[in-house]
Amino acid sequence: MVRLPYLTALTTLFSYGLLFAFGQMRDFFRKLIDWSKSKGKDLKGYAPICLGLEDFYTRRLYLRIQDCFSRPIASAPDAWIDVVERYSNDHNKTLHRTSNTTKCLNLGSYNYLGFAAADEYCTPLVIESLKKYSASTCSVRVDGGTTNLHTELEELVARFVGKPAAILFGMGYVTNSAIIPALVGKGGLIISDSLNHNSIVNGARGSGASVRVFQHNSPSHLEEVLREQIAEGQPRTHRPWKKIIVIVEGIYSMEGELCNLPEIIAVCKKYKAYTYLDEAHSIGAVGKSGRGVCELLGVDTADVDIMMGTFTKSFGSCGGYIAASKEIIQYLKHTCPAHLYATSMSPPAVQQVISAIKVILGEDGSNRGAQKLASIRQNSNFFRSELQKMGFEVLGDNDSPVMPIMLYNPAKIPAFSRECLRRNVAVVTVAFPATPLLLARARICISASHTREDLMKGLDVISKVGDLVGIKYFPAEPPKHVEQDKKTL
Amino acid sequence: MAKLYAQTAPPMDMNKNTEWFLYPGVWTIYVLILLLSWLLVFSVFGCTPGMAWTLVNLFHFAVTYYFFHWKKGTPFAEDQGIYNNLTWWEQMENGKQLTRNRKFLTVVPVVLYLIASHTTDYQHPMLFLNTIAVAILEVAKFPNMHKVRIFGING
Repeated sequence: MVRLPYLTALTTLFSYGLLFAFGQMRDFFRKLIDWSKSKGKDLKGYAPICLGLEDFYTRRLYLRIQDCFSRPIASAPDAWIDVVERYSNDHNKTLHRTSNTTKCLNLGSYNYLGFAAADEYCTPLVIESLKKYSASTCSVRVDGGTTNLHTELEELVARFVGKPAAILFGMGYVTNSAIIPALVGKGGLIISDSLNHNSIVNGARGSGASVRVFQHNSPSHLEEVLREQIAEGQPRTHRPWKKIIVIVEGIYSMEGELCNLPEIIAVCKKYKAYTYLDEAHSIGAVGKSGRGVCELLGVDTADVDIMMGTFTKSFGSCGGYIAASKEIIQYLKHTCPAHLYATSMSPPAVQQVISAIKVILGEDGSNRGAQKLASIRQNSNFFRSELQKMGFEVLGDNDSPVMPIMLYNPAKIPAFSRECLRRNVAVVTVAFPATPLLLARARICISASHTREDLMKGLDVISKVGDLVGIKYFPAEPPKHVEQDKKTL
Repeated sequence: MAKLYAQTAPPMDMNKNTEWFLYPGVWTIYVLILLLSWLLVFSVFGCTPGMAWTLVNLFHFAVTYYFFHWKKGTPFAEDQGIYNNLTWWEQMENGKQLTRNRKFLTVVPVVLYLIASHTTDYQHPMLFLNTIAVAILEVAKFPNMHKVRIFGING
């Protein structure tokens, strides 16, 4: 459900129209000047590297606000982060790094449980494994790249997630884009949520199966699409589909919303379609013991056929995993190119995940895992409710650590980003084409390592910048008595 | 002042180039931009209101013909060029014809033509230019012209 003030929709469309018109005029004059200058270029007969139109957005819109994206950092992405200062001499066309850094509050990293910086239990074990196994196995899994760390982590992940077996991959994006083609091919049907991540879209395109999309988080529309497709069958021959897979995500990273899992699983079971759950943002971050959306929403893990996740967000490492039944994992180990031909996960990274999972489960002998999980839940709910009280439009469900603040107008994106950086808060802003054209947003990711003072500072800065930039689209609630606030939390 | 909020279900169009047209407020801003440009032309050029409407009509023809019916593809590379042979009009709503948005965009040039020819009292040469403009635009928007390239121009 998209909800925006009508005047804002009008002004946003007008701004984009203006930016587009200016971009086209500059392109026109650039073509004119280039044509009049260069008569007889030495690249005759060569096709241009890109057609003039397909990089229009990058050249004329993205480059103008380039300094808000891809900011280099100079420290581990903990609750506070060192951002490298950059300057530009030609209006953001090229940026140069200086050697100065600013310490900023980090509201942009996916550091849900605070494992991104040095941890008292994990880091010594990781350094030990670096000395023992070295930084890379220099081999694929099937050749010489499976150390006992890898087998230990696979068993641990399977136990943590609640499935019989698991398989690891070195990169999270690749986990989706290489597994989906191995699972379903031509003659199969993939039904994916309309807001799925680019890795899933890539994997679906690369598989050769037919792809259909259902309205975001709507089990009724999914049922409609399933009934229509099962009745029609394959495109021209109308034979029955070889396999139908429905792909959804646990937490959608651009909306912060939880998936409507129980109803979607019920629909899939009714029509006998397989389910694939991508828990990249929800594993380790939601659920009472951190086991993801299945635990949070009360879904039996045996009902989801394939559960995928990444280690980048909550475990402070890199890579991804797939957890499923023993037969599926055995099949994937024999067919998936990411397992057969790609270098295996780096051993210190594997050790980091093992230690992180042990902390979460409490098997390291302390209750830091439970503390972290409680902390992230409290922090997210506190931050979200405070922002909503101030009058911001914040998306996402309760308990979700991802909260996008809606900006809408294209000019507010660099304004918000730069003003926050000036006040030492680092935020991530997202615009078209990662989000729909009208719905640009600033995405806040809360971490368990944020203290209450950090959050108050963040709220203070965001409130001031929000007033400056004009993004408090809803009426603010009158300030309550401070002690009453603390008691309700 | 009480704020008006617009609320919709997010549109299902996967093509990011045309999806923005399905959001609330697009028709309003289109009409408002036309009115604003008439005001601008009228105040800057100091001509008669009829001449201003004719200029708006011709400018509207040039801009919309170029961007809706001539330029093909999308202004970004994320979709890997699957729409590289389709103009914006053909990409709209996945090629479905006679939708509400298409009907709106078909009516607007006709209304502009009527206003322009009425305010110029049907004189030459404005009437001729206006008629040519609206004829070309309307033919380009026929459902039968979907993916048709006359004489292979712009193929």
